[in-house]
Amino acid sequence: MSTHPAADCALLLRGLHEALEIPEARWDRVLRLARMTGLHGRLAAANADNPTVSERVRRHLLSATRMADFSARMLDAELRDVAPLCGGDFPVIALKGGAYALQALGFARGRFVSDIDLLVPARALRTMEARLHAAGWESAALDPYDERYYRDWSHETPPLRFPGHFLELDLHHAITPVTGRRHFDPAPLFDESLPIAGSRFRVLSARDQVLHACVHCFQDGDLALRVREIADIDGLLRSFAGTTGFWPGLVERANALGLGRPLWYGLHFARSWMQTPVPQEVLSALPGPAAVLRRPMEACISLALLPPDPDRPPGLSVRFARRLALARYHLLRMPLHMLLPHLARKAWLRTRRRTPDGANENAGGGP
Amino acid sequence: MQRSIDLGAASVVVRSPLREFNAQLDLLYRDHSQAGDSGFADVRVALLPGPPWRVWGPQVRLWSEASCPFDPYPLDSALPLFEWGTNWLLAQRLNAHVLLHAGVVAREDRALILPAAPGSGKSTLTCALHLAGWRFLSDEFGVLDTESGLLHPLLKPAALKNRSIDIIGGQPGAVLGPVFAGTRKGDVAHFAPDRASVAARRRPVTPALVVFPRYREGAALRCEPVRRAEAAMRLGLNSFNYRKLGPVGFDAILRLARTAPAWEIEYGALADALPCIEQLFGKAS
Repeated sequence: MSTHPAADCALLLRGLHEALEIPEARWDRVLRLARMTGLHGRLAAANADNPTVSERVRRHLLSATRMADFSARMLDAELRDVAPLCGGDFPVIALKGGAYALQALGFARGRFVSDIDLLVPARALRTMEARLHAAGWESAALDPYDERYYRDWSHETPPLRFPGHFLELDLHHAITPVTGRRHFDPAPLFDESLPIAGSRFRVLSARDQVLHACVHCFQDGDLALRVREIADIDGLLRSFAGTTGFWPGLVERANALGLGRPLWYGLHFARSWMQTPVPQEVLSALPGPAAVLRRPMEACISLALLPPDPDRPPGLSVRFARRLALARYHLLRMPLHMLLPHLARKAWLRTRRRTPDGANENAGGGP
Repeated sequence: MQRSIDLGAASVVVRSPLREFNAQLDLLYRDHSQAGDSGFADVRVALLPGPPWRVWGPQVRLWSEASCPFDPYPLDSALPLFEWGTNWLLAQRLNAHVLLHAGVVAREDRALILPAAPGSGKSTLTCALHLAGWRFLSDEFGVLDTESGLLHPLLKPAALKNRSIDIIGGQPGAVLGPVFAGTRKGDVAHFAPDRASVAARRRPVTPALVVFPRYREGAALRCEPVRRAEAAMRLGLNSFNYRKLGPVGFDAILRLARTAPAWEIEYGALADALPCIEQLFGKAS
């Protein structure tokens, strides 16, 4: 019953927009790929009333819907708790999942949220952090090295947690790592940000939301959920592309902020994996990779980011592609003279922390 | 080899080259497993040996969706890893239902629910009732249908720990898998439900009685009614996903607490507990 994972993945991505009419055995594969990529909530949202699914498939979709509802309730509660701390003395911008929910964008339905990302001006970072601490949020206890990593090299504070809450809160002062090649001054993001009616939070402008999603997708470490990021880019583009002047404005902004390359990648893969309507002239106007590199790059990124065959351990080519993607991620994050000592330290810690048994089970809880 | 196991409320497909592990599955799932792939499964796992160069302390890994969600176990402990791992995976995916942490047994499609915290003797009591003629529905998950209010069977073997292994294993008719000594939960052995219970695994039951059991060594039998509101609270606390289901879970638990009277019993001997439960069940109808 083995179909090619790429074909099933294409089916999954189609299923985020429309009801699928496929046999139960095919649903089995699509549901598994959906869980692997964290897209099962969105698949369920688009197929909730699909009359062609069997009772067993319906139960899985219902299960995903209920977990997505829970995630949405937790997000709502967290935003409501943080809102009183936004005093109006500096802008507080909700990023990603929080922003999509606040704007009630269609693709936020069924989208799982694991943390809240807020962006504040660098000068206000300590103030906002102090307010959160005073209100009961606690910073993860870190050793001095990790603390320094976050403070000096990253673009966010260590994650904050309110005891008993499900979501973590990340406070950002930029959307790219400070030490990274693509770092830029985030001031223009604030200048263009928009208020949300009836809320104390602001959101990035439409084009900056797209750029942030692209930057996040191709400059972040966790590979398993990248397809979900492409689905976000697709969702944003479908929500905003109807506005007059959207495309030229997006290209202009990307070039001004030095984000032309990540935008090219985002648009290219959204179009190629999700048939997002992206005009060809937009792609041509962006600094894509050199023509000879496109094919190998495409193959490598697909291997690294698309879910592998769920029935077997990932093969050599997948593991190699993931290594390459991870190496690229690290290189974009900091220059080699900082990266090598950093990775050496991480590797050394890993050998020390390796215990014979137990650790990640406890994290899972359960019976 | 690959096999499909139909547990009732869910199905599992498991693949493994480990001969001993397959023989254990043959015993514990003798009436509800078949070779091959059923086409649709709620959980698919493979239990594969770890890297061959690990000569000292060989391991087994549970693969699910091309990754290993749990740490490896020693190679001879594939069965506890499979049982524990599939329970965990099922708990992630069966959120269409309220999953009570409870043993469930039934007479004539009327259910007795035994919700309990670990260590309260739930598994021992569930198995003892089953051996005394009750139909076995589940030991770990009470699968409460939020739409119909009925309970679905989930026919996984009961995990007996430490002294329960001898207490239940010594009774006539009890079928137990091998004892795994010194796991995280102490010694563990798995108890297989009987053929009639397995055959009825697609037949849901109506909740009739809730009993919160508490085993305490040497305790005299004590049996007290639990008020409905308190029973609802305690059922919610003894659930894997009550909090996540929000209003849906709240409504389902209230409905259950309204239909089925609840009691709490403390006991030091099964011989005291069983007649007491029979009597309560008789009164509940």
